[in-house]
Amino acid sequence: MQSEVLTPFREVSERAGFLLTLASFILPLAVWCIISYVPFIWHPLVKIHSPGGVSFFREGALVEKKVFVAENSKMREQGLQEAIGRPANPIFLPAPHEVAIAFFKAFTTPPRRSGEPWLHESLWHSIRIIFWGFFWSSLFGVPLGILCGVYGPVAKLTEPVVDFIRYMPAPAFGALTVAVMGIYDAPKIAIIFIGTFFQQVLVIANTTRRLDPSLLEAAQTLGARRSQLLVHVVVPGVISDLYNDMRILLGWAWTYLIVAEYIGASSGITYFINQQAKYRIYDNVFAAIFMIGIIGFTTDRFLAWLGRHIFPWQKQERPGLLRRLQLARAEAIERQAAQKEAIG
Amino acid sequence: MKRGSDLPDYREQAPEVAARFAKIALRPKILEVRALGKMFGSHETLRDITFDVRRREFVCVLGASGCGKSTLIRIIAGLETATSGQILLDGKPVRGPGPDRGMVFQNYTLFPWLTVRANVMFGLRMKGKSAFEAETEARQWISMVGLLKYEHAYPHELSGGMKQRVAIARALANRPRILLMDEPFGALDAQTRAQMQAYLLKIWRNVDVTILFITHDLDEAVYLSDKILVLGPNPGRVLELIENPVPRPRSREQFVSPVFLSAYNRISELIHPPGSIPVEKVPIIRMTMAGDDVE
Repeated sequence: MQSEVLTPFREVSERAGFLLTLASFILPLAVWCIISYVPFIWHPLVKIHSPGGVSFFREGALVEKKVFVAENSKMREQGLQEAIGRPANPIFLPAPHEVAIAFFKAFTTPPRRSGEPWLHESLWHSIRIIFWGFFWSSLFGVPLGILCGVYGPVAKLTEPVVDFIRYMPAPAFGALTVAVMGIYDAPKIAIIFIGTFFQQVLVIANTTRRLDPSLLEAAQTLGARRSQLLVHVVVPGVISDLYNDMRILLGWAWTYLIVAEYIGASSGITYFINQQAKYRIYDNVFAAIFMIGIIGFTTDRFLAWLGRHIFPWQKQERPGLLRRLQLARAEAIERQAAQKEAIG
Repeated sequence: MKRGSDLPDYREQAPEVAARFAKIALRPKILEVRALGKMFGSHETLRDITFDVRRREFVCVLGASGCGKSTLIRIIAGLETATSGQILLDGKPVRGPGPDRGMVFQNYTLFPWLTVRANVMFGLRMKGKSAFEAETEARQWISMVGLLKYEHAYPHELSGGMKQRVAIARALANRPRILLMDEPFGALDAQTRAQMQAYLLKIWRNVDVTILFITHDLDEAVYLSDKILVLGPNPGRVLELIENPVPRPRSREQFVSPVFLSAYNRISELIHPPGSIPVEKVPIIRMTMAGDDVE
């Protein structure tokens, strides 16, 4: 029998799609749970419950299994009390429930030293860095990308050097940005900018080039002057594709965040993660890393949802919000006109 | 060729047809194409194309694929430049595209981000008309092509035939001196195409517009046109300008009338001259394996 599942480009049913999406999160979580909760899987260490006669064991300490067994056999030989402990994982791999608790506790635990930011302050700081970096990049990158896509000479003048700089890793500019812009937020925003901008110009230019050229011709035969084409045909013609590009680019901006926050005075979520690692509170480290993922993921999902509603001309199963408003308005106007006719 | 040789000469015109051509000949020339030539590099696409289109005339340009008919109409529209020769619109040379030459493309080219109404309003807005004025005018044109019910629809919600009706309304809304149509019904299925042809004739009867229509479909050309400009390939050149002897009003029943067939056969003769399609002997490849050969 031929496997239907492996037919190329076969659509997945809605139900199967939902289950698979669920599984894509549950499977890694399940692996994590097994490693954490099944004592005979991995668990290379022993957590000491009571040290017994072993002089250097402390309650709550983690020792290697080998050492634990060796020490206990020594105790047995000497007739002293054996140490009691249970298998444990290294401190850098907390169990899922510990991370889950840390998720909430991290917000309610005051910083160890006064003057250090709370977790929510760190997160907010990171979000601000991303926002401004992406904002400045888009402010220049989107118009420049569109111009490159539309006008050959602009592309020839801009794209080679942009393409060249694109290959220089943004973090390489770290020292330079600090020298120019100081140690606070400005160089971090600059790193996000550098990481995003050059990719953005090329991506936007390529998307713009995919516009059907016959639309430009049609517009010209309808009397659009060349100077009008950009605003009346090119921009509306590519905007919904640009929107999707921007979503992907925003994802890239997030990947530069940690590097950016290392630059100058460490700040934001990176600072939080570093501090917690220093204190060896790995529950919080994991929780913070997940938070970055969750913020990025939900932002993207939200923008995808928004995208379905703000472009009324998009082909989709259910009309978006703006399309429904548009139709409702048209209907109301028609009803009014009909009423007027009936009266007059 | 459709039938035997007992057909009238395609140059014989019934009195009312001859009278119509005499009347057309008195009308002013809208479009004059003078010794037009086009080279793409060293390849000659068009050579010495000369013809006129008079006011409210319906001229079809017909030729096999590759004879440069699309290039010709694109040059007239101003989307491409000629290498030699001249194009005059109302006696004035044309330069670049403009709303005086409305164009309907084969692939619809409706703006996907605009509703039907906004698509038809596009040219009027470009002209600088107010939104209110443009809207009122656009609705008239939309109602003329029978799509008022769909004025708030987006192009992707329409069928191919409906899209092309919007494209026609959009071009006509600019009140062009001439409507250029580049194989507008080429992408439609046979039934829709027949409907659209009848539709176009109806529009042309009701709207005072001159039409230059590109096609490779012989039936379409004879059904629609006053005159048929037959082009030959390599390089694209005028083979003959035929005055269509089929009387108006046209109907599909005429497709089998002797006069229709006489015109049809003449064009067919021009495009595929006898002997132009070599009859090759192709060896038969047998695919049977189980001995179930048939003769």
